[in-house]
Amino acid sequence: MKKFFAVVKREYIQRVRSRFFVMATILGPILMFAFAVVPGLMFRINSGGPTRLAIVDQTGRMYERVAKELASENRFGEKSSEKPEGLSFNRDSTGRASQTGRNIKTSFAVEEVRLNGRSLDEVRKDLAARVASKNLDGFIVLPPDLLNGEQPEFRARNTADLFTKSKVENSINRALRSQRMFENGIDEKQIERMSVPVTLDAKDAGGVESKGESSFYLVFGLGLLIYISVLLYGQFVLAAVIEEKETRIAEILFSSMRAFPLMMGKLIGVSLVALTQLAIWAIAFLSFSAWLAGSSFTLPSIPPSAFFYFLLYFLLGYFTYATVYAVVGSMVTTTQEGGQFALPIVMLLVMAFYLSFNIIRSPNSPVAFWASMFPFFAPITMLVRIVTERPPLWQILLSLGIEIGTVIGLMWMAARIYRVGMLMYGKRATIPEVLRWIRQA
Amino acid sequence: MDETRPTLILDGVSKSFGDFRAVSDLSLQVRRGRIFGLIGPNGAGKTTTIRMIVNITVPDSGRIDLFGQPMSTALMDRIGYLPEERGLYKNMRVGEQLRFFAELKDVKGKEADARIDKWLARLQLTDWKQRKTKDLSKGMQQKVQFITSVIHEPDLLILDEPFSGLDPVNVEIMKDTILEQKSANKTIILSTHQMEIAESLCDDVCMINRSRKVLDGKLREIRRSFSRNAVALRFEGHDGLLRDPELVTNVRQVGDDLEVLLVPGMSPQTLLKRLIDADTVVTKFELVEPTLHDIFIAKVKETA
Repeated sequence: MKKFFAVVKREYIQRVRSRFFVMATILGPILMFAFAVVPGLMFRINSGGPTRLAIVDQTGRMYERVAKELASENRFGEKSSEKPEGLSFNRDSTGRASQTGRNIKTSFAVEEVRLNGRSLDEVRKDLAARVASKNLDGFIVLPPDLLNGEQPEFRARNTADLFTKSKVENSINRALRSQRMFENGIDEKQIERMSVPVTLDAKDAGGVESKGESSFYLVFGLGLLIYISVLLYGQFVLAAVIEEKETRIAEILFSSMRAFPLMMGKLIGVSLVALTQLAIWAIAFLSFSAWLAGSSFTLPSIPPSAFFYFLLYFLLGYFTYATVYAVVGSMVTTTQEGGQFALPIVMLLVMAFYLSFNIIRSPNSPVAFWASMFPFFAPITMLVRIVTERPPLWQILLSLGIEIGTVIGLMWMAARIYRVGMLMYGKRATIPEVLRWIRQA
Repeated sequence: MDETRPTLILDGVSKSFGDFRAVSDLSLQVRRGRIFGLIGPNGAGKTTTIRMIVNITVPDSGRIDLFGQPMSTALMDRIGYLPEERGLYKNMRVGEQLRFFAELKDVKGKEADARIDKWLARLQLTDWKQRKTKDLSKGMQQKVQFITSVIHEPDLLILDEPFSGLDPVNVEIMKDTILEQKSANKTIILSTHQMEIAESLCDDVCMINRSRKVLDGKLREIRRSFSRNAVALRFEGHDGLLRDPELVTNVRQVGDDLEVLLVPGMSPQTLLKRLIDADTVVTKFELVEPTLHDIFIAKVKETA
């Protein structure tokens, strides 16, 4: 037992003191923040000035309406971003954060181009030339029979810009609808009243707590954190095991203590490093939000139960994956080989992470259920379910039971493989060999 | 502990890896306070034997008794082991590294610190205590590794190729240290393929080749029993008497010397007397004992 603590202590102190740990602890939150914020920023920057569109109106009566709708498309964006909502970075002038996509500011500068006796082809050629010379971003041709279903034409420099395309489409549709109503004898004022849009304000079923976006970011953040931590610290275990095998330190270790406490000491030592890092982040997060309290910034509030489940599933996830990593490390001969062997494990973790996107959308679907029962997915998927829409207790308990059983089973197997694998030099262990070790040990 | 009882007894020990037989039916006894040489070429089964002695691997059959008890994990702390492949944590400071290995052998606190400082001074490494292990030369790392094997003052010290990678100065330091351990009544097993080193240090040897014991016993007795009755000779004067078939069976030039093989049963004294009687000036007259290398080769040929 004393020797076990010696291993834990060495593993912990050496790692916590390392430059990597200090850097990762400081840079981790910055990087995560950047991952969330930068894409939004990019969209903003790219959109640049207003999109310049020319409209050729062959109906002779649609231009005004389309131009007005395009302008309002712009205004709507502003409107929804003014609505205070959870993680509200975009309230001040510099923040643009979170609400990527839906309200990217696409203002349009619209001009009407008349045929003035020229043929449509001539005008098209003329406008295409302007688009090519970049003094125009695109043009719309509204054909004479637009109101009876003839399709308009939209040409733009950047056809991949789906946001602009959908805005143009929506604007033309709305303009068409109003024009058709108008031509059917409904007066302007009525049309306006009929077109007042709604804005959804999402609340949970009890109507108590307004979750919405802040909850999405919370879930996403927790899932990402488990994914990254398990991956990172799992790889640490892999590297540590391979180091001991490559340098033959294992030989001295095994001549001083039994394999099982040695392996456990390693796994637990590294897990304490991870917990230290998470604790530092949690304290930083809490003091940051306390400091922000009352200012215009608000960070998403994390319910205490989420903290608890996060810790539980992080530890289970860590021990599941790190045990597998320890086994892989004891089977291979070099770090490169270890990387190759570890790839399928990483894939499992990546799958769990991507599944969580689906699960956030429908946390009680059969997919979500099965994914949260599979022990290699559950640490991420079950946590996501718990935080989005708490599943029945029996499901949580079942998944915990499966997870704990898996960890115990893996450790039982790992202890058998570890001892033999660590002392086998020169060649990589094959799967049949490994199975024999498990049976014989 | 009973002085006459061997520290270590191997009785009919065998170990195979798949179809490969690493050690077959090996029996040997290591006595207390002596240096026991386990010698043989690379791949003979030395390291496997040692791994079974330090309880890293378990024999397929046979029995290992240590300090009068069957091998068990409880005895591990009384063994010091310097493996053939050196293993140290590259990024740890030398002092911390030694501290960790001391704790692994249940030596802690001030006691551990005192011993670490003593050993670092003894092996001229004091200045390196705070340096990272990867900054040390190979020879220095080896000395650090040696300290890890003696820090808990083990009763049985097992050294697998302790001199590889050391320069002549450090070889001497290491030899002195090993002899010191011996005079402290510790038992030492020295595994090596370098016969000359075994010759200069060991009291007893066991030769193994291709997993089997070829020969064992006290080094002096082994050499005597393999004596070929040869003399290394340098002299000035008439060499006619060397052609006397009643006295000499063979003469060959070895460097500056003549190696004279005497007729079996003939005493070297007789040769010396005859040389003096023949008015030669003898500048060198030395009985040639067979080297372990010679004995080994002869033995391997015999058993092949």
